Amino acid sequence: MATDKELNDFLESVERRAFKQAAYAVRKDEAALDIVQDAMIKLAEKYGDKPAAELPMLFQRILQTTILDYFRREKVRNTWISLFGGLGRREDDDEDFDILNSYEAEEGSAAAESSADQVERAQTLSLIDDEIQKLPARQREAFLMRYWQDMDVAETAEAMGCSEGSVKTHCSRATHALAKALEAKGIKL
Amino acid sequence: MNTDDINLAYKIRHALNDTLDELPASTTERLAAARALALSRKKAHAPVQQQQQRRPLFDLASVLSMPWVARAAAVAPLVAMVAGLVGVYQAQQEQHSADLADLDAAMLSDDLPLTAYTDHGFNAYLVQQQQSLQQPQRAQ
Repeated sequence: MATDKELNDFLESVERRAFKQAAYAVRKDEAALDIVQDAMIKLAEKYGDKPAAELPMLFQRILQTTILDYFRREKVRNTWISLFGGLGRREDDDEDFDILNSYEAEEGSAAAESSADQVERAQTLSLIDDEIQKLPARQREAFLMRYWQDMDVAETAEAMGCSEGSVKTHCSRATHALAKALEAKGIKL
Repeated sequence: MNTDDINLAYKIRHALNDTLDELPASTTERLAAARALALSRKKAHAPVQQQQQRRPLFDLASVLSMPWVARAAAVAPLVAMVAGLVGVYQAQQEQHSADLADLDAAMLSDDLPLTAYTDHGFNAYLVQQQQSLQQPQRAQ
């Protein structure tokens, strides 16, 4: 069972990456912070008595679920707004729902920030950030979990609720897409 | 994925880690506050007493782990109960067989032939006889 210190250390080690991960998905820093807070609370409340070794996997699953919940809530909210706005826009099917189609980067947020400063490194980091954000949601999730969160293929598959083969495919496609995009912009890592 | 792809993936990871250090102070403060809030709501450890109450009435694994004397003592009531049930069943079967044998013997040793029991006319004769015997009793 994880002690308070173990849980605190774990959350401290993942909170920034979790925030970036959520920010890539929702493209709003405030919403991303709320999502990370909700995920942390859910982990502590429901799985606080689990062994420390199980926490990374559990936290990733909770984070992914919380991000999805956010999109569901936003979709419902947008539907009501469009109904009362008298625009008469037709409701989309859940299955046709695409996160990337529904969201645009919020002006002023870290996600949409243009590389205003002249430092080359900062520009490169900003471009990488942008390219990761442009990836399809599932590819981005797989790539970040696998290579940023240090999860193995099996853990990533379990957290994403798909097969290990799908994880490998998503990772491979994401890496190729990033390599192509960075090469097109003349960025060499 | 080939080696180049994996190398690129890890270089991107390195770059992403660099971006973490550049998060604004307001964001890191908010994350720290969220962490503190989560820790304050941490699920308490389940007390040992509750775990003991959840033990099943008959746990085969715990019985097998006992020494042989204790194991025999734990299993003896179960064996006695099964033996008792078998004994009761046997006794009932024997009693039933004895009843049937008595009935067969009575039928075979009777003066009336066995075919009389399958004859409907004989059955009607018996009923009539019974009624005629009851009528004089009522008249008296």
